[in-house]
Amino acid sequence: MGEKETIEKLEDLGKSMIKQVKKRESPTFETPLRSRGNIEYDKSVGFLRLGAKKEERKFLNVAQAKTFMQTVAVANKTKKFLKEGLHTSIRGLYYQLKFSLGENLDESLFEEQTESNALIEDLEVAMGIKREDLHLTTDRKGVVAGNMIVKDTFAGEETTIDCSKQGRSGWMIPSDVDNGMEFVDVKADYVLVVEKDALWQRLNEDRFWKKEKCILITPKGQASRGTRRLLRRLADKGLPVYVFTDCDAWGWYIYWTIKTGSMTLAYLGRDFSIPEARFLGVTMADIDEFEFLKKLTIKAKPIDIKRAEEMLSYPWINVHPEWVKELKRVVRDKRKIEQDALQGKRLTFVGEYIRKKIKGKEWLP
Amino acid sequence: MAENIFGGFKEYSVAEFFKKNRQMLGFSGKIRSLTTIVHEYMTNSLDACGEAGIHPEIEVWVEELEKNDRYKVKVRDNGPGIPEKILGKALGMMLAGTKFHRYVQQRGQQGIGAAGCTMYSLITTGQPVSVVSKHQGKKISCKLGIDFKGNKPVLTEVVREECPLEEHGLEVEGVFADTKYEKSAYGVGEYLKRTAIVNPHARIVFNSPEGDKFVYPKSIEDLPEKAEEVKPHPLGIGANDLLDIAKASKEYTKLSAMLQNEFTRISLNKVKELRELVPEVNLDMKPSKLSWDDAEKLVVGFKKIKWIAPATDSVIPIGKEQIEKSLRNILNPEVIYVTNRPPKIYRGGIPFVVEVGIAYGGDINKEGKGGVVMRFANRAPLLFDAGGCAITQTVKNVEWKRYEIRKFDEDPIAILVNLASVHVPYTSAGKQSISGEDDVEEEIRNALMEAGRHVQKHLSGRRREKEKSTKKKAIMRYVGQISGDMAELAGNKAEKEEIKVGLQKMIEERFE
Repeated sequence: MGEKETIEKLEDLGKSMIKQVKKRESPTFETPLRSRGNIEYDKSVGFLRLGAKKEERKFLNVAQAKTFMQTVAVANKTKKFLKEGLHTSIRGLYYQLKFSLGENLDESLFEEQTESNALIEDLEVAMGIKREDLHLTTDRKGVVAGNMIVKDTFAGEETTIDCSKQGRSGWMIPSDVDNGMEFVDVKADYVLVVEKDALWQRLNEDRFWKKEKCILITPKGQASRGTRRLLRRLADKGLPVYVFTDCDAWGWYIYWTIKTGSMTLAYLGRDFSIPEARFLGVTMADIDEFEFLKKLTIKAKPIDIKRAEEMLSYPWINVHPEWVKELKRVVRDKRKIEQDALQGKRLTFVGEYIRKKIKGKEWLP
Repeated sequence: MAENIFGGFKEYSVAEFFKKNRQMLGFSGKIRSLTTIVHEYMTNSLDACGEAGIHPEIEVWVEELEKNDRYKVKVRDNGPGIPEKILGKALGMMLAGTKFHRYVQQRGQQGIGAAGCTMYSLITTGQPVSVVSKHQGKKISCKLGIDFKGNKPVLTEVVREECPLEEHGLEVEGVFADTKYEKSAYGVGEYLKRTAIVNPHARIVFNSPEGDKFVYPKSIEDLPEKAEEVKPHPLGIGANDLLDIAKASKEYTKLSAMLQNEFTRISLNKVKELRELVPEVNLDMKPSKLSWDDAEKLVVGFKKIKWIAPATDSVIPIGKEQIEKSLRNILNPEVIYVTNRPPKIYRGGIPFVVEVGIAYGGDINKEGKGGVVMRFANRAPLLFDAGGCAITQTVKNVEWKRYEIRKFDEDPIAILVNLASVHVPYTSAGKQSISGEDDVEEEIRNALMEAGRHVQKHLSGRRREKEKSTKKKAIMRYVGQISGDMAELAGNKAEKEEIKVGLQKMIEERFE
């Protein structure tokens, strides 16, 4: 969404409230409910999103008055950021709004950052604007290497980044890959997401991305908003997305968040999910295929078992018999395998493993 | 009962008996003795005015003669006065009162009346009391003592005069030692205040030893209904009552006839039933021959028979309006609620009415103590033995928090409970507390809860008002900030004032 459009949306919100005041009505603010009861998995599109339940907040309701005032303050502040062309973190925003209400009131507009964080999410959902569009940055996480050239317009300057010339470090994915970011050239057959940075470094040293013509990305654990947006944009270019994680509940959770979105961020919907993503491994079934892995399994922790059981109950996961089989095996054997274990045979086996899986289409949905 | 006891002590002087048993008669402890003296005179005055249909105007003086021991008490009323021929009997003869053996709802069930006070004066100071009575144009002034040996009044220094017919009344003055005046819940002051509350048709004035004058003016015009004499119900009496009635009923030759005529609800059929239930008692004997043992057996027999409940119209409450008016006059509270409940029956045969008044706020805990419980039986204040009283216990057991009374002992609340009945179930001869009869306790509880609910309604309404104004303040404080942000957000800073005024108006309207 363009900056102009975002500013317009914010101004419209203000205008509609003023209209209400003039009609002698309480200003209202409607936002979809973000509670569990209003989160649903949309089978037709393949990701989690919010249902139809909405909540109307009124300034003239004592219980909501303060939150209402805060929401308007956040909206107004972010509009200023947009007009000034400056970015800040959600913590920066909090400090911008943490001031006394004055008039001899022993009360601040915001006391805790958690208050403003929740309101940012409210605004995102209610207005269909991403926080990145509001010039609010998030922590950067995730690294890319591959044949990809990006043009970054930032702080009044234009920089061209070639992701194939980033040496051992790779290009760090910024928090916002939408505003002022242009993908000039992407020469790849697919995208490979590797859970752990260590494996990414292994594959980078192997120049795997060059040999395989892929975009090699590590989210370094759970994928950040920026990484998910980048994956979405690459998928939109028609590139298949393959995910490679540990064979444990956490690894699989990372995969499913990339694919369908998470419960907590369900309000983000399609912009942040990649339903077409595929899972390469590591799987429990790999033990049967690769003898050496048998000795390299480790004991699963109770939390792994618990998460596996949870995932078995999610309708968007348990519709896939392959996943049910995998998860049940974890619950039964109480074992797990790290992706690092693939280096147990020899360091470069990781690349061989991935190639084999993609070639043989040995992936899980 | 008292008559029998006196009978058994004939070899001693009545005075001696009195000395030994004074606590039984309300003369235990210095403070209580003084209050009892005032109570006896007040009761006589109120009852006399009641019978004569006069609005009582009673003035009481208490003067300290010797610190914490000797007091002069004077009570003057505007009643009909007492004719000379019964003056001595009324004030100088034990157990000569007109109230004995009458089943009528009356105040004077405690103590032994004004004669007891005369005796107390004689015993503690050796002095007779001074009396001035104006009755039907005749005024008599005298000193009145008692000849203990013969239980006879002794009148000295008698002066007889004529007086105008419209001047009438009685004035008694005595000096009493072994007494103590105290400004407390047990003192004369509190006693008179509470008496005034339940006798709004009376004007009561109290001149205290400190020289203060407390005036409780008449707050209603209507005189209370006169209590009717009723025959006792078999379930309402004990063996001693039965004996008393038998002794006084000389006109019957057979006990069975006496039972049928002197009691309500005892029919020929019931007598038959009684004969079968208690065959060992001969119901054909002369009533005067009835022994204690037989009386006890009959009372046990009564309890086994199914009786029709007695008529309840013999019970006369103070009245909702009357209590409301006097509570308002005397306590000046913020809110009052008084119940108006129909009579109930306890022990299967004794009608009674419970009246509860709750007063809240205003001047009530001016002196810093809340949770005042004022107990009454047939309009007579019960000041002593509060701990063992069913009224106190029931009040304590109510969950006052449910009625928005946070701390019963501290909140400005005063509760009046009046138990009206021909037969008040006192715990002891001191007649200062009600015994825990289930039916009575339940009725008291229900009445308290009824009144509590009304007070709660008022209090929660008041709390809501308060909340509304705090709500208003809570929203108002955000108007400045939100108006500015809203105007800027919409891209029109100039509108800030208009938004502010608009919001303020809406808040004012909604949270008035």
